[in-house]
Amino acid sequence: MRRWFVLIVIVAIVAAPVLLPEFYVTLFGYVGLATLVALGLVLLTGVSGQTSFGQATFVGIAAYSTTLLTRFEGAPPVVGLAVGLILTGTIAWLLGLITARLSGHFLALVSVAWGISFFSLFGTLPALHGFNGIGDIPPLRIGSLSAANPRVNLGVIWVTAAIVMAISANLLDSRVGRAIRTLNGARLMGESVGIDTVRLSRSVFVIAALYAGIAGFLFAHFQRFINPTPFNLGASIDYLFMVIIGGSESLWGAPLGATLVVVLRDQFNDWIPRLTGRAGDFEALVFSLVVILLLQRVPSGLLPLLTRFAPPRRPSAALPRHPPASPLRHPPASPLRHPPATPRRHPPAAFPRHPPACPGDLSRQGAGVDPPDEPGDDVGAVRGDGGGAMPVDGGRGIPTLAKWGKELLSLEGVSRNFAGLAAARDVNFNVHACEIVALIGPNGAGKTTLFNLISGVLPPGSGTIRLFGQPGGNLAPRQVAALGVARTFQHVKLLPARGVLENIALGTHLSGRAGLWRAMLRLDRAEEATLLATAREQAIRLGLGHVLDMPAGDLPLGQQRVVEIARALCLRPRLLLLDEPAAGLRLPEKQHLAALLRQLRAEGMGVLLVEHDMDFVMQLADRVIVMDFGQKIAEGPPDQVRSDPAVREAYLGGVT
Amino acid sequence: MDLFVFLALLQDGITTGAIYLLLAIGLLIVFSVTRVIFVPQGDLLAFGTLTVASLQSGHLPGTLWLLDGVAAVALVVSLCRGGRAAVMGVLAWGVFPLVLTLAAVLLAPYQVPAISILLALAIVTPMGPLIWRFAFRPVAGASVLALLILAMALHFVLIGAGLVFFGPEEASAPALTEASFDLGTLNVSDQSLAVLLCCAALVSGLRWFFGATIHGKALRATASDRIGARLVGIDAAATGALAFGLASFIAALAGVLIGAVTPLSYDAGFDIGLKGFVAAIMGGLVSYPMAAAGAVLVGVLESLVSFWASAYREVIVFTLLIPVLVWLSLRSGSPEDRA
Amino acid sequence: MRARLFAAAAAVAFLGVSAEAQAQIKLGAILSISGPGAAMGVGYKGAFDFFPKEIGGVPVEYIVRDDATDANVGFTAAQRMISEDHIDAFIGPSLTATDAAVAPLANQAHVPMLAMAPYEYDPAKQPYTFSDAQPLSLMMAAVFKYMQAHGVKQIGYIGFSDGWGDQVLAATKQWSQTDGMTILADERYARTDTSAEAQVLKLMSVHPEAIVMGTSATPAALPVVALRHRGFKGGLYGNHGIVSPAFIKVGGAAAEGVIAVTSPVVVYDQLPDSNVVKPVAAAFMADYTKQFGPQSINPFAGYSYDAMLLLKNAIPIALKAGKPGTEEFRVALRDALEKTHELVGVSGVYDMSPTNHNGQDARAAVLVEVKDGAWRAIQ
Repeated sequence: MRRWFVLIVIVAIVAAPVLLPEFYVTLFGYVGLATLVALGLVLLTGVSGQTSFGQATFVGIAAYSTTLLTRFEGAPPVVGLAVGLILTGTIAWLLGLITARLSGHFLALVSVAWGISFFSLFGTLPALHGFNGIGDIPPLRIGSLSAANPRVNLGVIWVTAAIVMAISANLLDSRVGRAIRTLNGARLMGESVGIDTVRLSRSVFVIAALYAGIAGFLFAHFQRFINPTPFNLGASIDYLFMVIIGGSESLWGAPLGATLVVVLRDQFNDWIPRLTGRAGDFEALVFSLVVILLLQRVPSGLLPLLTRFAPPRRPSAALPRHPPASPLRHPPASPLRHPPATPRRHPPAAFPRHPPACPGDLSRQGAGVDPPDEPGDDVGAVRGDGGGAMPVDGGRGIPTLAKWGKELLSLEGVSRNFAGLAAARDVNFNVHACEIVALIGPNGAGKTTLFNLISGVLPPGSGTIRLFGQPGGNLAPRQVAALGVARTFQHVKLLPARGVLENIALGTHLSGRAGLWRAMLRLDRAEEATLLATAREQAIRLGLGHVLDMPAGDLPLGQQRVVEIARALCLRPRLLLLDEPAAGLRLPEKQHLAALLRQLRAEGMGVLLVEHDMDFVMQLADRVIVMDFGQKIAEGPPDQVRSDPAVREAYLGGVT
Repeated sequence: MDLFVFLALLQDGITTGAIYLLLAIGLLIVFSVTRVIFVPQGDLLAFGTLTVASLQSGHLPGTLWLLDGVAAVALVVSLCRGGRAAVMGVLAWGVFPLVLTLAAVLLAPYQVPAISILLALAIVTPMGPLIWRFAFRPVAGASVLALLILAMALHFVLIGAGLVFFGPEEASAPALTEASFDLGTLNVSDQSLAVLLCCAALVSGLRWFFGATIHGKALRATASDRIGARLVGIDAAATGALAFGLASFIAALAGVLIGAVTPLSYDAGFDIGLKGFVAAIMGGLVSYPMAAAGAVLVGVLESLVSFWASAYREVIVFTLLIPVLVWLSLRSGSPEDRA
Repeated sequence: MRARLFAAAAAVAFLGVSAEAQAQIKLGAILSISGPGAAMGVGYKGAFDFFPKEIGGVPVEYIVRDDATDANVGFTAAQRMISEDHIDAFIGPSLTATDAAVAPLANQAHVPMLAMAPYEYDPAKQPYTFSDAQPLSLMMAAVFKYMQAHGVKQIGYIGFSDGWGDQVLAATKQWSQTDGMTILADERYARTDTSAEAQVLKLMSVHPEAIVMGTSATPAALPVVALRHRGFKGGLYGNHGIVSPAFIKVGGAAAEGVIAVTSPVVVYDQLPDSNVVKPVAAAFMADYTKQFGPQSINPFAGYSYDAMLLLKNAIPIALKAGKPGTEEFRVALRDALEKTHELVGVSGVYDMSPTNHNGQDARAAVLVEVKDGAWRAIQ
């Protein structure tokens, strides 16, 4: 169905310049230009959650650049385009630098400010001829071919719009596209998988500005007369209206919204004076009332209403049909298939109490084996036996091994206050490879605070945190992720509207290198296939293979936590921080999870988990740390901790 | 530039700064209670000026009919709801507009400034709650951004209405006083003083209102924690209406005051509202004292810049906003999720 | 969705496309009916009520569009008029900026354009552009003659910070040089400014004898009020753009004594009977004031009316060469306009030539002064 639609659109783009009467050629030229700007806004507002009330400024900067160069300096339009885009991009980049840390509505307000500022500047700089405008702008030409004919120009505009739409679609369907989606309300999660959210949001902002710049360039050579008015606040607001009316979630919302707004405005300007006999009075009023009604009734835009009638999407074509050969041919035997005969009250004696032998002993576990020195290892992969060297994954989704017993994490005297409340007080403990450490304690004991300190979400208080032997307290979350620490969150942080596979694939962000350009030009397919294969593996490993295309928000909460774990594993971490992973899981699922964690431990990972389910903790953990009121009150093997009187008092409150 | 000129500019700047402060206060009240960035407040300011000008020239202003029309709709809606809402509706949207219309019809021909001013205030103030009721309350739970976009759309509706009712020409409000006196070499107009006095009176009145009355405290409670306020029984819809009512009263008053100094046309209010909003932003949209400082700064800066480079006035004032916001952003921490 | 829209649009367009030749003459007018220039636009538009329904036996349709005091909107309106409405001539535009934008379009499409605002152009390069608004230098010449006669030597200038302010300043410089005056200061403010206090202060600090104003419409009252409020006692001289009732209304008492120049039609009843413009102006104004009231007299309606008179004079000649809606008709119309000879309008007498597409002379300028709340001719 989608292909047919695209085909119709292409035919329309080709046919329109030929068939349409002259006035409509002009009208749809404006629609096309507006579409370009709106596409940028869809990326900016719909996908990455920023808002700009100043896009018209970028249209204006490019329009004036090309006008001054082609009209007064006689330069060819290509030069005008280049200078316009460079100028627009630079100014957008600078503005993005300034507004990096501002939250949603502050950014919008700054954009209002710069919109008005630049508009005034356009009107007052003598070189720009103020409100009288500049006319006689030469038409587009390539060599001797001239686009003076508006029909040719219309074709140029729409072909450009189509190309920009295609590269935007490519961008969204890529590693970078996934990362961009985290900017809209899930930045913390994005940082935790290694995404530089600040830099990325600035990049999206610049891209949106560049789209507007392209539109400005085309506008100047299409209308061949410019003055400041099309670049004022009202125009910027119009572009936003287009995106909101059309639907900001999908790229198709841009042409839909642009068409509706431009055509509606034009029709109102034509009909309302005829109806009321008073020109100039009612059009803006009626149009704005319509917009308000739409904003109130159809807040997510009209596109979702229209696509409701389209048949449902087929499973994601992005999944490679033949995933590369995976060593994990036999997923670990899942307890789901063979429910244990004994009730779970007493920890099964079969589980070893001390950490099993780690590197080199995987064959004993019967799981998929990672033979050493396989050809195709990443350059720079260093085996962990060197003691202190950084183990790097061979690219197959299995963490390679840290030396057994090597210290992954250590906290010494760590304290953190929040305006008088001591969330953590002089906490000392460490986590080694091949062990599972549980962090337990009553609510409010400071467990998640510790997680946030370790993973860089909170700036450090006092004390020392060491990650893999290096000081780690001052690192940003994404630096922590790059070192090999993955975490999940107490309150699940997913992209609920996106599929499970896509959410999991976020964890592969650091494994990929394809940036914006390769994504837009679709040169990243090979890498993307690898990344998705990795994600798929982890998904299957965690029992999510049957829900890969389901929107993650549709899963029950417990399963969503499992998605988070799968995402964390995609990072190939050596230290895994799990915040209440078993909450909301049913018994068989908990057992599956426990088995997985044991396997990970055997493979050399260190796991620090916060849990409230005592059964789960006691039969799984090698060591238990108990916290209360920010202080560590007990540490040791599960049995020892369970019978510790201080622990009993903390949980039960002073029973003798 | 000599001292005389500087003092004259300063006087001008402080007067306009007082107006910006009034608008900033209105913006802050509305934002803290409803999370709406009430951009169209400037348009209500222009309505205030134009309404009083119309009354002063003996004509009935179009805003009166607008009020009557929308109030009628509100009346019907509240009657349909029945019960207490119907009673309140009859009083607020039935009796009040009726009395007001009669008063306007009877008294406008006398063209007494004081009466015109009071009538104008009475006509424009109810527009706030009506805007809340029909524009924002239906989507009160939307994000700040969505509400801001709605506010922008509303701005166009209001200036469209302004053009229809008042035409494109500028009009002046009657001055409260034509007198002036000399302070050394500086000629201080009494109108400027009146503006400052009204501003001070309003600020202290609001402080009393928020501190001592139950409704004021309810507003503060809602501003502080919306859900908590609702949990203790504070009516969110009513506090929203009250906040908007305060803002539109402030806007109408500001329009009456500034309209005597500067003639305004139907679209001139938006710019003034924007500068009040710059002042509010300087207070981070939360702090009244900072907004006051920002308002005076904007007013004086605008006045001084007019002297040196009037063409670039808008550019400078709005570009000023950007370093302020940079400074604000440096105070905040790492990127937070926006749920 | 878009595809369906295209199809619908195409269908409608095909239905709506009319044949090349039309049954009626179509005249398109682009006026500033909203926005800051709307006070003038009201005047321009008012005259249309008195335009003939047919000229030379052929029915006439007037299509009026608003440019919202913005050249960009005017430009798109003009495009629409040329390509969709197939007009035969432009009445207007009424805004200088819009004139600048539309003139290239009109000349390229061979549509005669009667600019109704002071607009500088070269008839040789723009053969299809005509104007009936008095050139600035013509009007300012009258003002400076008066100032010279009253011994003014040192003047200050206050004007808009846009093209209009620049143009009036250019005329001021031209005539002050000829008449031996010095310009002490040049201050500007934007049309949309709410205060001109700073500029006024600067002007007064150089103590000019008189101040020349390069402003127009209601924003012109701003510095006048401020100047008088600050105690400026010298003469205030304006251009013809400020002569409107709104100026007096907003200026109030401060407007008294302001001297400007205007079209004869504004003070038609005070013209000497020997004035050849008087009968035409009186007849037009009698009808106009009957409909819009005695306070509604303004020069802008006069420009519209004169444009109509010029066309009414030229159309019958053009009809001999072609049918309305055709290029031949428009070319012939242009030629006929260029040959207009001693046509008496309400804003002056028109005498066109290939090098002068305006054709007005000193008979188009009358000095006026605000006296007792109204513009009175200075005898």
